[in-house]
Amino acid sequence: MIKMMWSEKYRPKNFLEVIGNEDAKETLVNWFGKWVKGSKPVLLVGPPGIGKSTLATLCAKRFGYDLIGLNASDMRNKQRIQDILGPVLGNTSLLGRAMIFVDEVDGIHGRADYGGVETLIDILKEPTVPIVLAANSDKVDKMKSIKKVTKTIQLRPIPPRLLRLYLEAILKKENASLHIGTILKIVIESRGDIRSMLNSTQALVTGFEPQTEKSFLTLDVEESINAFFKAKSQEEARSILYSLRIDPREKIDAFYSSVITSHLDPEDMAKMLQVISDADITYGKIMKTQQWRLLRYIDSILLGLYKQDTAVRYSEFNLSWPLLNRIRWDGRAIKGLISVLAKKMHVSRSDFATLYFPYLLSCIKNKTLDLEIEEPYAEILQKELNSIK
Amino acid sequence: MSMKFPGTCIVCKKKIEINEVGLWAKGIGVKHQACAEVVELKCLVCGGLAGCPQCEFSSDCDLTKVSQRCICKKCNNAKDAFISYQEAVVQKFPILNIKI
Repeated sequence: MIKMMWSEKYRPKNFLEVIGNEDAKETLVNWFGKWVKGSKPVLLVGPPGIGKSTLATLCAKRFGYDLIGLNASDMRNKQRIQDILGPVLGNTSLLGRAMIFVDEVDGIHGRADYGGVETLIDILKEPTVPIVLAANSDKVDKMKSIKKVTKTIQLRPIPPRLLRLYLEAILKKENASLHIGTILKIVIESRGDIRSMLNSTQALVTGFEPQTEKSFLTLDVEESINAFFKAKSQEEARSILYSLRIDPREKIDAFYSSVITSHLDPEDMAKMLQVISDADITYGKIMKTQQWRLLRYIDSILLGLYKQDTAVRYSEFNLSWPLLNRIRWDGRAIKGLISVLAKKMHVSRSDFATLYFPYLLSCIKNKTLDLEIEEPYAEILQKELNSIK
Repeated sequence: MSMKFPGTCIVCKKKIEINEVGLWAKGIGVKHQACAEVVELKCLVCGGLAGCPQCEFSSDCDLTKVSQRCICKKCNNAKDAFISYQEAVVQKFPILNIKI
């Protein structure tokens, strides 16, 4: 069963559930209430995990707008922006009440985004629908032109004591408790990022040595993967998995290389590869649709790999050492051989490797061709001949 | 006091020029008058000062950067503190109590 992440479960459903920054929230709600065609767009500036996207979503719901969410990667070039926003800006009555939310505007790269910033600024100058932008910082140079045409609302980090109050309220709802020292540590380490604070707390509350000094927040990939497969319960495995804070791609790869190089019975191996495949497909879809908040579910999928007393241990490489060695050294020798033969046959190395070499080997094997090969390559040629069935 | 010599403020690390008003203490250093004023957050629930110097997070909370409304120790220790906090938000920012 997939357990819901607390950061998702307790995602605010109204403005009262968004803690802190009351003045900024009031300004934003007022702006929405008074919005008319041509009103300056709003730029929400604040650190990650503070609730910028949540506020935009709540406002859209409250004021009856259909939120169209974009991020920096949608702002790559003029054509892309026009393709996405053209219909929205041109036919406001046909497409209902649209509202545009552009996340991470400070992530737009000036040089790489051909005409993206300029097109966005043109749209911001004459908005026909409410536009809310969000950025982690407005201090970077490229934000200057955007700031000129928007109304900036600063969202400040939440005071730690307020975070503690919120965290304790969540723990109460979950009928869970943590040592006071652990709560203070989580609050301080979250540095005002509510999402991160909830994730860390959930990882600890689910049962694995929550109140000791050495938590899994400090473990590296190798230790974490080994601890995951050595875990005594699924809850323990979950807490280890959630605490392993690395790129999801790396996480999936680490599990794949560990599983594929372990000696498992075929049934277990098939099950585990299926789980990794599911995680990989989900990750691919997330990357394609840019629904980053779904990334948290990758861990829930990977939890399917847990089975008590499984003989899986961490491996960095997805092939066994003897095979890796062969690929490395033989690969180098084959490259050399192909280079020499390609030169003799007046073709490119890639053409020779893909089109000529298999036939050449076949001919030598069938003894229809006797090739005089220099000594350093004779051994590798023999090895390749032996591998032909 | 009016400064006789130039110095560097121990709070903001900016220069304090001659004749500028600053506070000086032997062995500690000098600070601008504005920097010497204790910044303290306000308690949203009772409206008083949040008691930042005594707060358990005093060394981890940058008072000049964080959201300026917090909760004091007394209100925090009261029963159902989070509900009291939300009720105070409703009272002081009625616009945020809109239904969604």
